[in-house]
Amino acid sequence: MAINSGKFLRVNLSTGQTMTESVPHQVAIDFIGGRGYGIKYLYQELDANVDPLGEDNKLIILNGPLAGTSTQATSRWMVITKSPLTGGFARSVGGADFGAWLKFVGYEFIIIEGKADRPVYLHLSREGCQIHDAGDLWGKDTKETQKTLKDEHGGNTRMVCIGPAGEKLVRYAAIVSDRRTAGRCGTGAVMGSKNLKAIAATAARTLELFDETAYAQLSKQQATLIMENKGFQNHREWGTTRTQNITNSLGIYPVLNFRYGQQVGHEKITGEEYRRLRTGEFGCYSCPARCGKAHRVETGSYSGAYSEGPEYETIWAFTGSVDSTSIEATVAADELCDDLGLDTISAGACIGFAYELYEKGILTKADTDGLELKYGNHAAMVTLVKKIALREGIGDLLAEGTMRAAASIGKGSEVCAIHVKGLELPAYEPRGSKTQGFNYATASIGASHCFGYSGQDVFGAVVPRPSDRFAEEENADLVIYNQNGTAWKETGINCTFSAGWGWVDSLFGKLLTAARGIDQFSDNDYLWKVGERILNLERAFNVREGFGRKEDTLPQRMLTEPLHTREAPGEGQIVRNQDKFLDNYYWLRGWTEAGFPSPEKLKELGLDFVLNDMNVEQ
Amino acid sequence: MTTKVSAAINIPQFFQHLVDGVKVTKTGGRTVGECLDELIERFPQLEAHLFSGDGKLHGYLDVFINGKSAYPEELSKPVADGDELHIINIIVGG
Repeated sequence: MAINSGKFLRVNLSTGQTMTESVPHQVAIDFIGGRGYGIKYLYQELDANVDPLGEDNKLIILNGPLAGTSTQATSRWMVITKSPLTGGFARSVGGADFGAWLKFVGYEFIIIEGKADRPVYLHLSREGCQIHDAGDLWGKDTKETQKTLKDEHGGNTRMVCIGPAGEKLVRYAAIVSDRRTAGRCGTGAVMGSKNLKAIAATAARTLELFDETAYAQLSKQQATLIMENKGFQNHREWGTTRTQNITNSLGIYPVLNFRYGQQVGHEKITGEEYRRLRTGEFGCYSCPARCGKAHRVETGSYSGAYSEGPEYETIWAFTGSVDSTSIEATVAADELCDDLGLDTISAGACIGFAYELYEKGILTKADTDGLELKYGNHAAMVTLVKKIALREGIGDLLAEGTMRAAASIGKGSEVCAIHVKGLELPAYEPRGSKTQGFNYATASIGASHCFGYSGQDVFGAVVPRPSDRFAEEENADLVIYNQNGTAWKETGINCTFSAGWGWVDSLFGKLLTAARGIDQFSDNDYLWKVGERILNLERAFNVREGFGRKEDTLPQRMLTEPLHTREAPGEGQIVRNQDKFLDNYYWLRGWTEAGFPSPEKLKELGLDFVLNDMNVEQ
Repeated sequence: MTTKVSAAINIPQFFQHLVDGVKVTKTGGRTVGECLDELIERFPQLEAHLFSGDGKLHGYLDVFINGKSAYPEELSKPVADGDELHIINIIVGG
């Protein structure tokens, strides 16, 4: 059998044309799939400086070479596009079943171009792609949308869709599948800008693997390793619902818009407290972890709220941001975000930003539609979630994200806008976990913990070496290790959590070889090289858009205001040597002092086609 | 008579506020369990943070010896001269 490099579907919504194309073998060898395919095609097909919400932007939705197979935790789906929040590279990852179903209809990815002249949705099957009118779906939330399409196309249908937030171009709107989201970077707004409400796939399970026998054997080995792994067992029990126990004890649980690192009353929001509200579990295709923990509120003002979450980031977004300890409010806010199609991290961060401005008198009741945004007021927080998604009143301003909202408000509000490159920070305080922080600063998508998660700082991981979480330039090697490692694992597209389940180093490459028929993939050194190649091409995308060293910065607050941790270590920490860190990071990456990939590095990685675009002043 | 070994336990950052900032301590334990018992003798406040009520290491903790997990033997896993032990939290992200 020949190399199995995969096929993709190109849909032009302006013309209504659809076309199936094959991925060239050399692209498969160089980029493997998933995130690698995403940046390769986005880079080569997008002109610089296109409007992220304009007709010329492209939306790429991908699975990976292992999607839909018997292996566990390898059927994630990913969105690659140009971000309306940052104006740079966007990558966002989602779960549930859609990644597998996209494979079952025969595709490893879809490139969506142009803009429909009315709301539409795509229906994919083995027979091809049809563009349907979505006038009746426009305005519906994600739950109603998915139910309607499932009723229409049958139970063997899975989909991704946007909610009202995506339709209204909220800059951090999410794309939703079942109750899992590709939350970050505003990919839902890009989908909404194309008048595309949903993509549904109907198919029975069918797969093409290069060597099915070898794959099946490796898959069994993977299952054994995972089931015997303690990290997996813990993840199955808790998901991420008790990560806040750790981060709060470390003093890196951001509170009051990143001014404190511990929350007063934290004992009310522990994983054990969430356990009391748990009603069930849900998971992604072919994953036994079922790490999504569902919660229902039975009493009080949020009685009836039900969410297939919240997980750690969302717990933080709706507690620490507004200094609330109501876990019931977090369930209600999470349910709303999933229904309306919002990224919980940016939504919570934007609300926390507004609360600080209210505290400082920069915003008053006259600006907030009468809402009293006092810390601890979780009812106003839940109201704001709706207002943002529907762009009502002050929600219209906050729907722009903290960077743009601060620029609009002025009055010194810029120091309260906690973002990198326009993407709001997630739930790890950079001054107390600096490896994590510098990952935010240098990530091409902006402040994402998942771009290069520092397990060394947060959980004491010892691979490749332990970290001192208050060290700065000394940890540049760890930031690179975490970022490159994430990149090659997301060619799978593997679940980021499964990296700790004891199978990736020994089996992932062999599985790729069995799936694709490309021997190099069984060499882990080669996988690391592909990870570096992906990182450099994503960086080159941003350089072409005008990004450089000055955008690789943490928010001013982290550089100038001491962290208050209350009782944890790290009181008074600031980020002292960002410039020294960047010098070291760029040097280790083989980049120039301006933060551009050097010609030598690009040639070494086989990215010669980028060289002409790097003719910016270096 | 059995001879004690000389190994090192690296105390993770998330426990350092409980041990006055001590990062590494020597141990003579011949198993992971004995090493942790010695650690608790020196820092009794760690006991509840390391062990659940049934005497097992908490489900979210693991001990690595020279970079490799001690699970599933865990507390009975032998420790040799010169070994480096790390206590890690096996929650993976959030």
